[in-house]
Amino acid sequence: MLYYLAKRLGLSAVVVCLVVLVLFSLLYLIPGDPATIALGPRATEEAIARYAEKMHLDEPVWRQFLIYIGNALTGDLGLDVFSDRPVTAIIMERIGFTLALVFAGMGWAMLIGIPLGCLAAVKPNSWLDRVTGVLSVGTIAVPSFLVSIWALLIFAVHLRWLPAIGAGEPGDFSDQLSHLVLPAFAIGLSWVGYLARMVRASMLEVMGENYIRSARAFGLHPRRVIFGYALRVAILPTITLIGMGFGGMISSTVFAEIIFARPGIGKLIFDAVMARNFPIVQGAVLVATGLYILVVLFSDILIAWFDPRVRESL
Amino acid sequence: MPKDAIHAPETLLDIRNLSVDFRTPRGRVKALRDITFPIRKNRIVGIVGESGSGKSTVLWALLGLLAKNAEVTSGEVRFGDRDLLHASEAQLRATRGEEVSVVFQDPMTSQIPVLTYGRQMRDILYRRPNLSTAEKRRMAVEMLGKVGIPDPDKRIDQYPHHFSGGMRQRAGIAMALLTGPQLLLADEPTTALDVTMEAQIIHLLQDLQKELDATVVVVSHNLGLIAELCDDVVVMYAGEVIEAGEVREIFHNAQHPYTRALLECDPARIDDVSRKLPVIPGDIPDLTKPLSGCIYAPRCQRAMPVCREKLPPDVARGEMSLARCHLLDGPHHDPSWPPPPDVMTVGVGETSASKPARAVSDTPLLDVSDLNVQFETVGPLRARLRGLETRHVDAVLDVSLSVAPGETVGLVGESGSGKTTLGRCVLNLVPGQGGSVKFEGQDILNMPEARFKPLRRDMAMMFQDPVGSLSPRKSVRALITEPFQIHGITDVDLDAEAERLAEMVRLPGPFLSRYPHELSGGQARRVGVARALALNPKLIIADEPTAGLDVSVQGEILNLMADLQAEHGLGYLIITHNLPVVRHIADRLAIMYLGRIVEEGRTAEVFARPVHPYTQALVEGVPQPDPDRRRAHVSISGEVPSLLNRPKGCDFAGRCPFAQDHCRAEKPPHVTMVDGRRHACHFPLT
Repeated sequence: MLYYLAKRLGLSAVVVCLVVLVLFSLLYLIPGDPATIALGPRATEEAIARYAEKMHLDEPVWRQFLIYIGNALTGDLGLDVFSDRPVTAIIMERIGFTLALVFAGMGWAMLIGIPLGCLAAVKPNSWLDRVTGVLSVGTIAVPSFLVSIWALLIFAVHLRWLPAIGAGEPGDFSDQLSHLVLPAFAIGLSWVGYLARMVRASMLEVMGENYIRSARAFGLHPRRVIFGYALRVAILPTITLIGMGFGGMISSTVFAEIIFARPGIGKLIFDAVMARNFPIVQGAVLVATGLYILVVLFSDILIAWFDPRVRESL
Repeated sequence: MPKDAIHAPETLLDIRNLSVDFRTPRGRVKALRDITFPIRKNRIVGIVGESGSGKSTVLWALLGLLAKNAEVTSGEVRFGDRDLLHASEAQLRATRGEEVSVVFQDPMTSQIPVLTYGRQMRDILYRRPNLSTAEKRRMAVEMLGKVGIPDPDKRIDQYPHHFSGGMRQRAGIAMALLTGPQLLLADEPTTALDVTMEAQIIHLLQDLQKELDATVVVVSHNLGLIAELCDDVVVMYAGEVIEAGEVREIFHNAQHPYTRALLECDPARIDDVSRKLPVIPGDIPDLTKPLSGCIYAPRCQRAMPVCREKLPPDVARGEMSLARCHLLDGPHHDPSWPPPPDVMTVGVGETSASKPARAVSDTPLLDVSDLNVQFETVGPLRARLRGLETRHVDAVLDVSLSVAPGETVGLVGESGSGKTTLGRCVLNLVPGQGGSVKFEGQDILNMPEARFKPLRRDMAMMFQDPVGSLSPRKSVRALITEPFQIHGITDVDLDAEAERLAEMVRLPGPFLSRYPHELSGGQARRVGVARALALNPKLIIADEPTAGLDVSVQGEILNLMADLQAEHGLGYLIITHNLPVVRHIADRLAIMYLGRIVEEGRTAEVFARPVHPYTQALVEGVPQPDPDRRRAHVSISGEVPSLLNRPKGCDFAGRCPFAQDHCRAEKPPHVTMVDGRRHACHFPLT
């Protein structure tokens, strides 16, 4: 197990380095030199020279790369080009909003999708199964930015049930919660469909296994057979899917945060790209990648916890 | 009151007029028709039949666990004062696992892999809320100990994959007996196990039944198991009970022609080692069509016109003995039926070509010497971290074996003995780590695939799983001509070849356009034979050629293989764990244990005088289809050790009844005896 963790963390480090490399080369692939991009076309020679020195732009590229990695390891992701504030601080201010959104979105999708898939599998071809089938294809097919706009129009503009934009008053928990509902609904909806389909398929397979027949032949209660036996095995592939889903969800937050004008990593990246604010783009993408790797690692450990066979092969 | 009535066993469960239909896309399958028989208290009742006989359907009907497309059309199952067929779901749930419990066919798949035995057994006791968790655990530990699991207090916290097959089945029996059920159902309890394990499980069931005064129903196709274990026997065919009686009546004086035929087909019963095995011609009838007359009539050697029109009477002999046949009673009664047991009533298939006039040649077709195959168990980094010296296990260890043209060599061993790995290495499908494999004098071990490919035309494999090894998307015609395409042979008429091959394996023409899932086990097997034979190979490696086949059909395949050998002078290497079958077809036998060949010699001699104690255990381990030849003891105990901790001395020393200190210290070398037999034993028998 320790060996496995060490191996996985080592591999994660390699992935992070590769991501940094890609982000870094991006700077050199786009036309113009970084200082001009940062300071704008009307910057004086002097200002450019000062900037270049501060940013180590006169060093060879590989040294710049190493300096960036070294700084990133100590939590220093550079300075915002416009405000001169540390990128780390800017990201830290927003990351909470994005995490809240992602967890709320995936959370409600899991709460609805998994039981729905389960029930659909227990009674295949029942009305519930059919409805679930249509619903899941429907929700998967509709892109989350469309859902966002519709949700905004219907629930915030016409019905006026929920607030439309922003993240709520700082410190006011219920206000923040009410601001979270619509964006979380919008990014989670397609995951209800994914999860329901996935759980249904693996439940159907597991319900046909011999050990489920054994459990029934020993007279166990159907609830115990379905949730204690079948779901315990059927959930395993779904956990992997959810882990990967977090990554996809971080990118869907870009739409949701723009449409609902919420602060967050997605909106931060979007704005920074538009303004060619590269330190922010690099820092935010790096943090998002790190989060994604952690979630996937966590989901693999969760599977090992559920399945003794996997646990022992680690 | 007559004395008999006092001693007559009471009926625990009474099945009356049970009929079950399955709704399928092909129409309604009348899977069970009017099944009636009693299960008497404190007896072991065997339900015997071939696949499709409905024997398992009876079992699942008793538990109310039939598949969703099944419909019980009539009948009742009296259990005490209840009718299990018409009980509510809640009542059934209270009965299942509590009063009626089950031991399953395949312990590998019938126990949930993600829960410990302790948890699974506690769940079974869920109807006893007044027991504390600790008490439930104590009960479970006690029961695990009773079924012979060592260290039950520790092992109860392990998961099924920590247990070997035999141990899992013991645990399965413990789970079934945990609640002290009145009736124990066992569905093919030993089919998934090796011979030595099978013997142990049979004895365990027998002992437990005596100890607990339980009533047991055993469903099996294995006549040996039934004869060894059961008191009463019910014979089923195509959804009907055609004969029932006490075990000696059935095995010594069978009345129904089908029972007779079934017994005659069992290779374990045939002492005369001729090449030909008896077969029951034809197939089980299509149960979607309306049926009339005797269900067995189309295949019966003694069928009369009346058999096809009128349902035969149930002719009773004793309290629960009956046979359903026109020959036994009524206007068509034949007093000379049944003939004495030594008279054969079934034929041995077509054309009885005697022992082939083979092309005797001095160069063996296949010559394996000192072959070693190793499998890597841990990666190089991890091995260094843990300080392991060796990263490999020896799956095949110093194996020498040869097959001459026209010769059949049987490679026998239990699961994990390395026999399949050896076969795969010979076919260059896994790399070998030492020794040599010569095919017609040419060294082929680890030959690059590009050079080996032409040789694949000369050596073909018949795979173990007949249906699984055929692509489900290809028709039979495409499947049996596939070898031509693989080898880029374009100058043949594929349609003509398909017909030639189909005829060769006696597969009727219309089957050419069918798909694998539409074939029966025996037909799929024939497609496998046809594929192997397509390019006129010289050597065929057959992995378990009769696995999953019914006794009445396996003879057909083996006879076919023998005929083809006689015709083409093929060499066969037959990999199997089925000793009775291999006895009839192999010229020589090699017995493998834990990757080593422990004994090799001519089949008849190996059977008559085994030299290695393991061979002796295997030969004695086959249950005999004769209730008078039940064994009093299990010849060997224990299990095959893991390859990961191969014993230092003789691999078999841990289980050998004759093992001495020398055996445990030093590996016995291969010794060739004066008569040409070889063995690896420090203290050979005889």
